[in-house]
Amino acid sequence: MEATNRNSSRDAIIASIRSHLSSSKILDAREHEIKHGAAPSEPVSYVPPITDTSALMDLFKQNLEAVNGRCLVVHGDADLVQTLGNVVSDLRDDTKSPSLRIAISDSPDIERLVRMVGLDVDEIGVTPSASDVFRFDVGVTCAQAGIAETGTLVLDSSRERHRLVSLVPPVHIAILNATQIVETLGEALSTLRLEKYVSPIVTLVTGPSRTADIELTLAIGVHGPQELIVILRA
Amino acid sequence: MNHVTSETFDQNARAALADAQLRGALRNATSLFGERRLAAARSLDNWEQLRSQAREIKDEVLLHLDKYLEEFVVKAESRGARFHWAQDASEANAIICSLAQERGARRIVKSKSMTTEETHLNTALENAGIKVVETDLGEYIIQLAEETPSHIIVPAIHKTKRQIAELFTQELGIPPTDDVAKLTSTARATLRDRFAEADIGISGVNFGIAETGTILILENEGNIRLTTSLPRVHIAVMGIEKVLPRFADLDIFLKLLPRSGTGQRLTTYQSFITGTKTNREAEGPEELHIVMLDNGRSRMLAHPITRQSLACIRCGACLNACPVYQQIGGHAYGSVYPGPIGAVITPQLMGLEKTQQLPYASSLCGACREVCPVKIDIPRLLLHLRSEITEKSSPAVRQARQRTGERIAFKLWQMTMTRVWLYKLSALVGRLFQGLVVKDGRIRKLTGPAKLVTPLTAWTSGRDLRPIERRSFREIWRSDLSNKN
Repeated sequence: MEATNRNSSRDAIIASIRSHLSSSKILDAREHEIKHGAAPSEPVSYVPPITDTSALMDLFKQNLEAVNGRCLVVHGDADLVQTLGNVVSDLRDDTKSPSLRIAISDSPDIERLVRMVGLDVDEIGVTPSASDVFRFDVGVTCAQAGIAETGTLVLDSSRERHRLVSLVPPVHIAILNATQIVETLGEALSTLRLEKYVSPIVTLVTGPSRTADIELTLAIGVHGPQELIVILRA
Repeated sequence: MNHVTSETFDQNARAALADAQLRGALRNATSLFGERRLAAARSLDNWEQLRSQAREIKDEVLLHLDKYLEEFVVKAESRGARFHWAQDASEANAIICSLAQERGARRIVKSKSMTTEETHLNTALENAGIKVVETDLGEYIIQLAEETPSHIIVPAIHKTKRQIAELFTQELGIPPTDDVAKLTSTARATLRDRFAEADIGISGVNFGIAETGTILILENEGNIRLTTSLPRVHIAVMGIEKVLPRFADLDIFLKLLPRSGTGQRLTTYQSFITGTKTNREAEGPEELHIVMLDNGRSRMLAHPITRQSLACIRCGACLNACPVYQQIGGHAYGSVYPGPIGAVITPQLMGLEKTQQLPYASSLCGACREVCPVKIDIPRLLLHLRSEITEKSSPAVRQARQRTGERIAFKLWQMTMTRVWLYKLSALVGRLFQGLVVKDGRIRKLTGPAKLVTPLTAWTSGRDLRPIERRSFREIWRSDLSNKN
């Protein structure tokens, strides 16, 4: 019974769309004539794409910092391990909390790095569940791509389980390889689409969570992470 | 402000004009957003081209809406989404209530959605005994205060931080503060518990992609990600006009929407959701339900002028640019869609009978058309609706709109403008008698017997009128200009 009702509403809406569109046909033809003389679109100046990786890194960093994100550039695994260790111990000092719990994604790269760092933390949780994830202070994940023109991270759920780890803990640390940075949003979108299969959830992240809902005063960290630290591996 | 309706727009507007605090807040918000929008638009060298492209894509979708909807539904269903169709608000609410009841859901978290404001979903859920919490900071404030949004992008723009602090002290038991960071962290802490315990998350939809069955939702706070990631069930409510043909089209719309709304190059988060998770271990909801709402939208397809209304991407730029909105704010419109776009959408959704003052809530200055990222010709729509009110609407509406004096005045105007001798005569008579009402070179607010000239009284009650010049252009031309060689 319910299913029938749903189908009948669907049919009614589609029928309504068709009948209203067809009654508009004569008017559309007239409108088309009027619009035909519309002004031509302005010429667009051609800017050659950036191909140099270090230029892309600079642009990414600059744009991420403009939206209150932090970007630390590292060279090689040893540097990365040390930087990650420093970031975590700074966080412990900042929060002055007696315990620090870190949640990590299921990326093998992250697990390996965290083991190498030998973090002095109270707990490391791998992809905690929705009911468990609220306990953690820091989330560490990789990112699948970066967009230089906006300082944006692309998180793709089909390649790494980081949906909750990147979202719920107050601090999100993301590791991004410089080779994964593209220049424009358009390039990033076409990569997502090229794979024919679009992942169940893809998230673009540009800086920490923010709001200006109270008297237009910017407040960082309302529901998502209050701090976003990108470790950029050159 | 709770029971303000569109029917009493004139009174609502007058009350808003007398509210100095509201006007101060509006002045700050609209000018700030206006400047940011302009700077963001100028950061791209092809802004105008993007606007045209966006409009062409929207026109293409709307002209073949049935086809694109079907493609969208097939693609999303193949990925595990389930569809529900609602012809009107009450059907949409009934669908959502029964989805909740069938699953024994008691607690719902919700992210900001104009569409669910339009259907008054929260009231329906509460009547069904289901607790629903708004999680966008602005919407949360509004819900605690039992008010309605006054702006599409910043719903609580009409409230000061002091009022919000008092509200939080009263409702959440925090010590008094006027520190915005503290208020924000209070909301964060309180709402974390709501997210953790919620059975269902309800969101809106910014764009649906026919090619892939993807829905895209934009935000800055992270509450949409939480709403769509934590609960077991996600219900997305989507107007039928929100579909776009191709994934690649998002490149254009993601450039236009954040820049027009808040002046950002991108909002903090974009969630692209395509169906449900693929295996048991993956994170995210097990069920995705998409409720497709018509509620008067398909009717707007019947005319190219009204059809434009469906191109709207709800950025709020026209609100910030509108000299009327800047003075009176959103509540005066008595509808969830305020400002210029509200003045054209509300009458089409709710019918002209109850909203006939709205198409007149504009000076037709065209600022809304200038800023619209999808080039909706709002002034033309307003004129179209005005003509519907006078020409086609029911006798009751017509009578209420057309005051006798106005009708006679326009009849006389028409006679005068179509007869040269009468035009000359009335100019002559006007020049002879206007001395009675002209003071310091202007016709100001009329007093005494002159008030009987109804249209003149109406005009001068709010502004001055220039008197008729001593000599007409033709006279000047004939005596001075044409003989100079």
